[in-house]
Formats: sequence, structure tokens, C-alpha cells
Amino acid sequence: MMCSNVRWPRKVAQAGLLGLFIFISLRVHAQDDGIQLDGFKPVPILTGSTAYFTRVTAGQYQDAPSVSPLLLLPLGDKWLVEAKGSYSDTFSKNAQGDYNGTISYGMAYGQIDYIANRYMTFVAGRFTTPFNIYGERLAPNWIRALQTSPLTSPVTSGSALGGMMRGGFPGTDSLNVTYALYFSANNTHHLLATDRSTGGRLGFFLPRQRLEVGASFQQVLQADRPHSSGVFLEWQPNRAPLTVRSEYVRSSGTKGSAYWIESVYRLNQIPALRRLELVGRGEQFFAASNLSAATIKKLGALGKDTNEGDFGLNYYLRSDVRASASYGRQFVLGRDANLWTIGMTYRFVMPMLPQGGAR
Amino acid sequence: MKIKFLLAAFLVASALSLGLMANASSSKDAAKDSAAPTVSAQQSALNESMHVEGEKRFHSNCGRCHAAPPKFPPRMMTTIVRHMRVRATITDQDMRLILRYMTE
Repeated sequence: MMCSNVRWPRKVAQAGLLGLFIFISLRVHAQDDGIQLDGFKPVPILTGSTAYFTRVTAGQYQDAPSVSPLLLLPLGDKWLVEAKGSYSDTFSKNAQGDYNGTISYGMAYGQIDYIANRYMTFVAGRFTTPFNIYGERLAPNWIRALQTSPLTSPVTSGSALGGMMRGGFPGTDSLNVTYALYFSANNTHHLLATDRSTGGRLGFFLPRQRLEVGASFQQVLQADRPHSSGVFLEWQPNRAPLTVRSEYVRSSGTKGSAYWIESVYRLNQIPALRRLELVGRGEQFFAASNLSAATIKKLGALGKDTNEGDFGLNYYLRSDVRASASYGRQFVLGRDANLWTIGMTYRFVMPMLPQGGAR
Repeated sequence: MKIKFLLAAFLVASALSLGLMANASSSKDAAKDSAAPTVSAQQSALNESMHVEGEKRFHSNCGRCHAAPPKFPPRMMTTIVRHMRVRATITDQDMRLILRYMTE
């Protein structure tokens, strides 16, 4: 009896909120005139990137050709289906001097987006967890300034399976607010594993100063139920072709905390070198305290404090073809290592209709 | 108690709806005004200012993560910009200006 007394107001409130939410969505939907502009109907696109990289990690050679196709399928004025896969074959030398290949493949995301109105987009399916900026925006190998992933990457869940609400809107004339809220179900499939979790990200972008700052939160709802929080910053000063990015992540569980700061300088001012950019990144990982020896062994790289510094060069042969090389030094207790990387990326974009569906 | 909750939910929904409708009608009026025929010099100045603004938004939004891509055919560009609107949480206004700039 007592339970039912407590439950019914909650249910009514939930129903009211849901009704309100749908009502607002429909109202705003009605006043939005779609994203079509000048009668250009969107056309399905196959895009993505291919890459070939040679890596030398602590003396161990690896050659890794890879391809990451992304299918973009617009449906009407409001819908978009996005599916991104990845395939790579990593060749490395074994003790006998022979090369062995290891194939890996997976689906980075497979999602359907519904642009409800100018403030909200609903996403369903498998998607990249909206935590800070690296995973969603900077991870593709044709975008990332350094091919080695930062030490913050393994601290949080990279992918989610469920639903998400996200968007961006102008707060004032000189401030854009961006947000993302999601929930994810547990999935134990070996290629598509996700945690049962929820969380989100809130960002503030100052277009005039070209500065973005924000914060993220994630709560895992299974096993030890750890939570993670993070902050990020991205700044491109108007007076110099420089980009400064940084992320900090802290986990309450066994995964510790980490930060990285990266700067990218494009040599625009020197005509002969305007296609070249210089990259530097410093980062630290702090393992969780009071870990047992068994847990440290199980966590692997996440079980020990690590410091790393990387320096790289990117040369744009064209806007879609880039040659990259980098050197990094990783400092781990009792096991320092040199990290060399050299290779190329090519970003492709092709329409799925003849001539790009020209008007 | 139940009636109070329903009433409160209804009132909040009504207030928000009215606010949104008022906003929508005022923005529609503004759109009508701006769409009214003007002399070609004014139109040209408007186009120029939208071009400049579009370029600015393109560099401040797209240039944060990657090098400037080339311009693709308009129908491809529409898909790409829709994808980037979702991925990079670009505002509706920025998206429109960027799309206009990239399809000129």
C-alpha cells in the first residue's frame, strides 16, 4: 500500500515529463523547416580512410595497413544512418624472424540519427560514448595529429549501445552551448562489447576566441559501478595557426586517472612549408592506488604510472592525403620504451549516386 | 494529488507551447521581412556578408579538428554537413551558414 502511494505520483510525473518532452519536440519540429538548403537533396556517401603505418614499439616492428569505411545514408530531411567499420591486418616479426599477421575488425558505430529540431538530435544504436572530445572527434587516423592514442583513452568506455540526445545551440551572440546525454545497455558480444552505463557531456564554445571548454561524466551501472569524470579544452588563437587541446579524466574505479596536452602548429607563414605541421604532446597516467598484485597484472598498462612525451610531423600532400611521422618516449616503472611511427593516411569521399547526385 | 500533478504538467506544457509558438511566429515574420524583395545592391551586400560569416563559421567549427576539406558537389556537401552537425554538435545556424558557404 505504501509502495503504491509512493509510486503513482512518480509515474504521473514521469508521464507528464515524457508528454511535455514529446510536445515540445513536436512544437519545435513544426517551426523548423528542415536542414535542406536551396533545394539540395542529400545523397548517400561512402567515406572513411585508409592508412598504412609502420610502428616500432620498444624495438618490436609492426606494419599495419587498415581501412575504416563510413557509410552515410540520409533519409528525408531529418534522418541519417551512419555505419562505420574498421579492418586492419597487423604484421609483426616473431622470435624466428618470420612475419605473422593478426587481423582485427569491428564496428566503430552503427547509428540512426533523428534531427528533431534545431536544439535536439536523437541517436539510437551503437555509438561512440560522448565523453570529452578525443573519442568522438579526433580518433579517426586521418584526423588525429599523432597516431598513438593518448593515455586517457582506456580509462572510460569507448562505445555505447542504446540511446542518446545531443545538440548545440547559441546561448548568446558569442557563446554556443553543446550537450550530449546517453544511456547504454550491457553487451557481451566479443566485437561489440559495451557497458551498462549512462552519462553525458556539456561544452561551451566561444567562436570569436575559438575556445571550447567542457566537462563529461560517466556512471557505469554494472560490476563495481565506477564513475568517471573529465574536463577538456580546445583553443585556436586567431593570431597564429596553432591548436592547443587537452583532456583530463579521472575514474573512481581501478582505471586510475590521466591527462594529455597537445599542440599543433601549422607552418602557414613559410610558403615552402605551409603544408607541414608540427605536433607535440605530453601526458601522464596515474594508476589507481591500493591495487593488488593480481589486479595490476590483470590491468596491464593501466596498472602502472606512465609518463609519455611525443613529437610528430604531418605533411599534407593534398587535403586528403597526409604523411606522418612521430617519435615518443614512454616512461613506465622498469620498462621505458621508444615509440616510432611512420606512415600515410588517405581520406576518401565518394557519392553513392552518379556524379554526386548533381542537382 | 493526481489531479494536481496532471494540472501542473498541463500548465507547464501549455506555457512552453505558447512561448514556442510566439517565438515561432515572430521568427516567421522576421523571415518574411528578410525574404521581401530588395534592391540588388542590398541583396549583394547580404550575400557578401553571409559568405564572410559562413567562411568564419567554417574555419572556427571545422578547423578545430581537421584540415579544411575541398568543396564537394552540393548534394554531397548536404550529407557531410548533416553528419558533422550530429558528430560535432554544430548549431543549426552555423550548419546553415557553413552549408551555404560550401555550396557557393
